[in-house]
Amino acid sequence: MSMPSFALVRPRAVDEALEHLARHGAEAMLVAGGTDVVPNLRAGLFSPRVVVDLKGLGDLSGITFDRERGLEIGALATLTAVAESQLVRQHYPVLAQAAGTVASPVLRNMGTLGGNLCLETRCRWYNQSYFWRQSCGFCLKKDGTVCHVAPGGKRCWAVWSGDTAGALLALDAEIEIAGPAGRRRLSLTDFYKNDGVDRIHLGRGEILTRILVPATMAGYRGTYHKLRIRNSIDYPLAGVALVVKVEDGVCRDARLGLVAVNPAPVLVREVESLLVGQRFTPELTEAVVQAVVRTGKPLTTSMSTPEYRREMLRVFSRRALRELWRENGSH
Amino acid sequence: MAQFSVVGQRLPMVDAREKVTGAGVYTDDLVLPGMLVGRILHSPHPHARIHSIDATKAAALPGIVAVITGKDFPNRYGILPIGHDETALAVEKARYVGDNVAAVAAVSDQAAVQALDLIEVDYELLPAFFDPNETMKAESNWIHDDKPHNIEKEYHHHFGNVEEGFAQADAIREDHFFCPGVTHVAMEPHSTLAHVEDNGRLIVWSSTQVPYYLQRTLSNVLGLPMDRVRVIKPLVGGGFGGKSEVIPLEVIAACLARAAGRPVKITYTRDEVFYAHRGRPVQVIDLKMGVRRDGKITAVEARIVQDGGAYCGYGPVTLLYSGALLGAMYDIRNMKFDGYRVLTNRPACGAMRGHGTVNTRFAFESQLDMLAHAVGIDPVEIREVNLLKPPCITVNQLRVTSYGYPECLRQVKAKSGWKEKKGKLPFGKGVGVAGSHYVSGAANAIVRSGTPHTTIDIKANPDGTVTIFTGASEIGQGSDTMQVQLVAEELCLHPRRVKLVAADTDRTPVDLGSYSSRVTFMAGNACLQAARNLKSTIFSVVARRWNVSPDQLEMRDERVVLCDDSGWSMSFEEAAKCAIDHLGEVVATGSYSPPQEAQGGKFRGAGVGPSPAYSYSAQVAEVTVDTETGQVTVDRITVAHDCGRALNLMAVEGQVQGSVWMGLGQAVQEEMIWSQGLLMNPSMLEYKSASTLESPEIDTIIVESVDPEGPLGAKEAGEGSLAAIIPAVANAIYDAVGVRLTSTPFTPEKILKALREQQKKVAQRNGGSER
Repeated sequence: MSMPSFALVRPRAVDEALEHLARHGAEAMLVAGGTDVVPNLRAGLFSPRVVVDLKGLGDLSGITFDRERGLEIGALATLTAVAESQLVRQHYPVLAQAAGTVASPVLRNMGTLGGNLCLETRCRWYNQSYFWRQSCGFCLKKDGTVCHVAPGGKRCWAVWSGDTAGALLALDAEIEIAGPAGRRRLSLTDFYKNDGVDRIHLGRGEILTRILVPATMAGYRGTYHKLRIRNSIDYPLAGVALVVKVEDGVCRDARLGLVAVNPAPVLVREVESLLVGQRFTPELTEAVVQAVVRTGKPLTTSMSTPEYRREMLRVFSRRALRELWRENGSH
Repeated sequence: MAQFSVVGQRLPMVDAREKVTGAGVYTDDLVLPGMLVGRILHSPHPHARIHSIDATKAAALPGIVAVITGKDFPNRYGILPIGHDETALAVEKARYVGDNVAAVAAVSDQAAVQALDLIEVDYELLPAFFDPNETMKAESNWIHDDKPHNIEKEYHHHFGNVEEGFAQADAIREDHFFCPGVTHVAMEPHSTLAHVEDNGRLIVWSSTQVPYYLQRTLSNVLGLPMDRVRVIKPLVGGGFGGKSEVIPLEVIAACLARAAGRPVKITYTRDEVFYAHRGRPVQVIDLKMGVRRDGKITAVEARIVQDGGAYCGYGPVTLLYSGALLGAMYDIRNMKFDGYRVLTNRPACGAMRGHGTVNTRFAFESQLDMLAHAVGIDPVEIREVNLLKPPCITVNQLRVTSYGYPECLRQVKAKSGWKEKKGKLPFGKGVGVAGSHYVSGAANAIVRSGTPHTTIDIKANPDGTVTIFTGASEIGQGSDTMQVQLVAEELCLHPRRVKLVAADTDRTPVDLGSYSSRVTFMAGNACLQAARNLKSTIFSVVARRWNVSPDQLEMRDERVVLCDDSGWSMSFEEAAKCAIDHLGEVVATGSYSPPQEAQGGKFRGAGVGPSPAYSYSAQVAEVTVDTETGQVTVDRITVAHDCGRALNLMAVEGQVQGSVWMGLGQAVQEEMIWSQGLLMNPSMLEYKSASTLESPEIDTIIVESVDPEGPLGAKEAGEGSLAAIIPAVANAIYDAVGVRLTSTPFTPEKILKALREQQKKVAQRNGGSER
């Protein structure tokens, strides 16, 4: 599969990048690490006239932590940098863990946290070569009108397949977006649309610049469980990220994010109300598990069956709860 | 044990440096002046009649030099003389998604891709066949008109008397096994560069395991005499059987080069590699085996259906191996085999490491484990009860000479801690044992003739080096290194004095190719013979000069030495120069043909399975099963491989470990997933070859049975250890959690399902007592 032709521009500042976007509108496309965009370009999934390479925006790769303001990560920080950052590991371990499970070491060296939050959604009927898609008559996400996952439906179910979004949702993260009208902040939960085609609230002329995690979430215990066939390289087939604050065996706060089962990463909102003020019991765990499988709705978008992925949501939720309570010295 | 100087060492491959540094030249690295890019238009339909192809728009596109279709090159070809059912491009029908319909040669890849989109093909869709059992019931629209009911070939073999055998059995099992297709995923995608020289000669560089078969096929398809075709094999980045027959791009590149009048290179994209396939077929196995109370096998009956895809390829050979190699492992007196190679609308299957034997071995070794448990015998012991007693001829007329299998079993049993572990590990952990074997080259050539299977020339140079001229194809398995080592050993030279020219049909003598693990045995023997002949030529000249008898001379440490107390000696360089001065040129030849006794029986299909020698492997796998996720982790593998003699310890260990690792992929995670005619995972991301993280510790033991006919006793090392790991893991899963998997791969989902069913059964058995 050969790379289509396009013009590559390499701005040195965010404003310059925004100018390119403004000038080329729908014909422009952003690339950061390129680990998601490049294979998709080769598969003919996008045909931009201009590709805006963000790698030159050096001021967007820092990782800082402040007891008052919390964690700030530039969108261009590599996944390796996030996974290995002492600040992240110490204060927000679930994020370091999730970033460390993405793809493989080589891809993590290239891929960025911002890119991971803006991934294209994935589907076995979509992430294929042009020839392959032509053979099955294309699909409604690209070039066609039918959905092979839910035939007859008009919605695209391509699945959100980033690892870090679950952890960041659980950590109540915000993002900063730069656009023609200046910079705005958005809760990460409001960034995703749960639509396989139009996946994020990022306007044509906008760039995700920063990821911010509140200071109040620092020190939460957290864990990320990822389903995949190989222990490296693979995208998640289901992922559960849980963070909790436990004092004397009593849960003071809990948030649980899911990835790779819906068209968006999702926060299982009932978890907080179920767990806060409670002590760990098997019954409570099962209530959380029920909430998780009510929210996570895997379909036939990937090589593993929906039934198995749903079952793993159950297993991972149980394990995550057991693990975090036990780490806190009581269960 | 004989003492060797070069053989038996841990020598890095002679081409290792260039491969590691990136300096090595593979086909895709080659560039010729005026070279064009070739691209192929593939069929998007699994089965369709082609009414017409209109390429006028494509041909008119700037940068397009040639467009060809099936009508331009209608000559049929195929690797087997009985299976010439392919053409360069589809002539009347497309038979699978990915079948080759038209091709363009262009000045750039972009132009070529654009041109493909402009070729208009008028297809009439035909009913397509995807199920190996259903396809045999087809009454019309057969994939090939001359193959009624889509049956490519069937064989029915009966040796001894299975009815009598089963009558003597104390325990009989009948089980159904299923293996989906798997494919090679060699690191290097196939690539071919073709050029028609001004004098009309075709010269082709290709990533092939079989340059001489390629030469022959190109001569057929292009209607050129053999001497007008030259094939050169540059470095090859892995074959595993996927380059062991002529692959469509090789023929298409040559046709395009002729049509364009300029050199044309085609390199497959990764998804094209998947469509070209030629890997292990989908296989449905019904196996019946009986054993006596003491574990002795009384009869084996196998019905095997192989879904071969849309073309013949190696098909009948694959099928015959799956039946014949039920034979050379254990002492089985009564054996029946019914095999069907059927056609479906999917890419053609072919040879893949362990060719034909792997899936059957999975079924056999699994069932033997079940029978061991049924009669209460330890699984290692039941294998020991059924050993062959070589030298012997098996019931299906395979000649077994050396047989290190008993020693392999003994060693893996001891080193794996079998006795302490079998049946004694906590629930969730288990061990399993299994064996496998493979041929050291097919005793019968694909095209039967009196020509030796391999011929080697060695030339002495005045600078004290020698050059081996060999047709053998290095594909990463180490054949170049092996030949250098054997020649250096025989001539008592340092390996750096041995140069090698390989796999160029203009310059090297014929070798049949790198398949059926034949090169060490056959080219190795030919190398030794050629080296001995070279030595005797040189000795005869030196002896004349010294006025002694040639048989008083020998080579020692790079010198010709007179074996008396004279102390006379001469450096090899001096001796070579002396011989060249005297004779003009010093070239010696060696060749190898398998002995008559190794060539097998006379029945229909007897040609496949016989080999001059068989390698053996025994393995113990230790696994952990996560009963909540169903995930199986292979913690440790102990493997013992009988390679006759290890000519290069490092190379043998690498081959054995590579085989085990590749088999492990099939065991736990690899499969080609289909939706009708569409391969759902034609990529290295979704086709799950194991990553380093799924590669457990492999404790590798080399057993040297010293084959009487192998070069210095050597047999094959590259394939025989692949099959056993699959049943070893299946048996270990059974030991760990008591569930039996009869289809590959052993995915978490399958294991979890089996565990649930088992729990249900236990609950039912316990009645309501617990609730």
